[in-house]
Amino acid sequence: MKSLPKLLKEYVFGFRVGWFLAVRQIRRSSKWTTALIIFIMVLTFLNLVVVSGLLLGLISGSFEQFRESHSGEVIVTSAPGRDYIENSPGLVSFLESHSQVKAFSPRYQTSGTILGTLTSLPRSNERPNQMGAAIKGLDPEKEALVTNFASSVTQGGMLDGDESGYMLIGANLLKKYSSFADANIPGLDLLADVDVGSRVRVTVTSKGGGTLIVKEFIVKGIVKSKVDEISTRVFVTGADLKSLLSINKEHFQEIAIRTEPSYAEALVADINGFMGSSAARTQTSLDAIPQFLRDIESTMGVLGNALSSIALVVASITIFIVIYINAVTKRKLIGIMKGVGISPAAVQFSYLIQAIFYGLSGSLVGLLLTFGVLEPYFKNNPIDFPFSDGILVVTPAGAAIRVAILIFVTIIAGYLPAKLIVRKNTLDSILGR
Amino acid sequence: MIEVQNLTKTYGSGELEVKVLRSIDLKIDSGEFVAVTGPSGAGKSTLLYQLSLLDEPSSGEVFLDSIKTSELSQVQKTAMRLNMLGYVFQDYALLPELTALENVALLMLMQGHSREAAYKQAEGALARVGLSDRMHNLPSQLSGGQQQRVSIARAIAHHPTILFADEPTANLDSTNGHVVMQAFLDLHKNGQTIVMITHEDDYAKYAQRVINLKDGQIIEDSKVA
Repeated sequence: MKSLPKLLKEYVFGFRVGWFLAVRQIRRSSKWTTALIIFIMVLTFLNLVVVSGLLLGLISGSFEQFRESHSGEVIVTSAPGRDYIENSPGLVSFLESHSQVKAFSPRYQTSGTILGTLTSLPRSNERPNQMGAAIKGLDPEKEALVTNFASSVTQGGMLDGDESGYMLIGANLLKKYSSFADANIPGLDLLADVDVGSRVRVTVTSKGGGTLIVKEFIVKGIVKSKVDEISTRVFVTGADLKSLLSINKEHFQEIAIRTEPSYAEALVADINGFMGSSAARTQTSLDAIPQFLRDIESTMGVLGNALSSIALVVASITIFIVIYINAVTKRKLIGIMKGVGISPAAVQFSYLIQAIFYGLSGSLVGLLLTFGVLEPYFKNNPIDFPFSDGILVVTPAGAAIRVAILIFVTIIAGYLPAKLIVRKNTLDSILGR
Repeated sequence: MIEVQNLTKTYGSGELEVKVLRSIDLKIDSGEFVAVTGPSGAGKSTLLYQLSLLDEPSSGEVFLDSIKTSELSQVQKTAMRLNMLGYVFQDYALLPELTALENVALLMLMQGHSREAAYKQAEGALARVGLSDRMHNLPSQLSGGQQQRVSIARAIAHHPTILFADEPTANLDSTNGHVVMQAFLDLHKNGQTIVMITHEDDYAKYAQRVINLKDGQIIEDSKVA
């Protein structure tokens, strides 16, 4: 039995010689072979990071769009069963004075019907060209400080706070622009022949109840977005909707708030503390997202992890084969090294260090590609999915974990073939038997 | 220095059993230069593998420096090969990614010498075989004779007690073969114990003692005049 210091000394010398051999073998081996192995490792890394990142990105893209174009970091809506946010003026004052609130956009909301054809009456067996929709009244200037709603205007122009009688209409309400136009869904009657410049008639019920209020608007623009709260809504200025509903007070139905994302949770608590939790429903953007979307996100996460696991197995087999072939082709030299007195540990270390080098290099190039090329690319050119614009979701912490996993797998996959070759009989290796 | 008692090596078993070495008894003193000769299949290389601890005999004993090698573990044998023995292989067996200097220094690094000390010792060994001007060349940049001299430098740099050479001139032309043999002769003159396998009488003459093997047995053991 060897003493611990002696054993440690042997391993230290073995590691030193292993390092000496590995550095020279990497430096002086074929550049093309090295590049090919690193390329394989890069692909493996990207397989680990990008596949799961894109799967998550399909959903996260919609989360981000929801926040950027509709909710801001925090959104306050009417409490269930209430018509409006209680003490709206007080909340507005509170938000105006809150140091962490960068901007906020109060919105009115009601429901009504939009009649698309004003010039002729439908025939007896035809339904009128009209449909029900939620109508929102917003202040374009305040909205611009909170969301990028204006960028959703794909046809025509954005509302102007100083003008009256204009509306924006969601693309999914119009036969001409809706993604569902050809789906023939029973009960879904989209507005036909309505486009920018069309005159439409809006009918709402007064807040007192009972009285129908009718007003005509000119369609100023079409808004199209993967966010339902935009593409299936009608937008007018807050002043127009306020006068339409004959509201005297500031009784808002929705307030979108811009703050630091890291402060969102705290701001929700601040508002609840100020208002009381029953006066309104205050949520972070993430909490306001429908549960089914979050369920999809979880499912995508599981799916991404499953695919990553397969990628890991493929990676470990790849590394195993690369190192095994490398070791097998040098079997005679390995035998000679052992024969002249180089310890098996030193030879194993040399292959292990090479495997780690390939794993680290592949990960490094993969990281550069991921954060320097792919992530910005998908941010600027998201994948066009029906329900979201898919982005690449990858965080430094997530990437670091994957690098660690890849290196761990590399160590195992590099050690095993080296061990297999090194343990062979020295003389058999030398003689190639 | 080397003592062999009743050494037998057998491959296979039953009807397929082949006795390659048959009851060899042998004693080699310190400082001797011994050439082991014989026709192909005589058991020369097998004998060398047993003496140099690269293989284990079927029966019999090998003593190196009075150490009973059959009682050593594989790790102890590896350590003994590193510290006591030197090897020159027929096909040079240099690591292609290492320069001549690095190939030679490798064993000293394994012994625990510092990089500077190992390189200094390696430079000295390369100088002894006349390759001071080629020490930074890779094996692929050296001729066969030069590679074999690097191999010799590697085998002697750590000052082994015994130097084993397995047909060191087999892959060399006559000129380079004699250069290599001259290197062995110089080492021998400095007191190095050498056991060399060769099947060429011309090179065997460089040794002071020739052991002739045939069918696994020593048929002649003579001093060279």
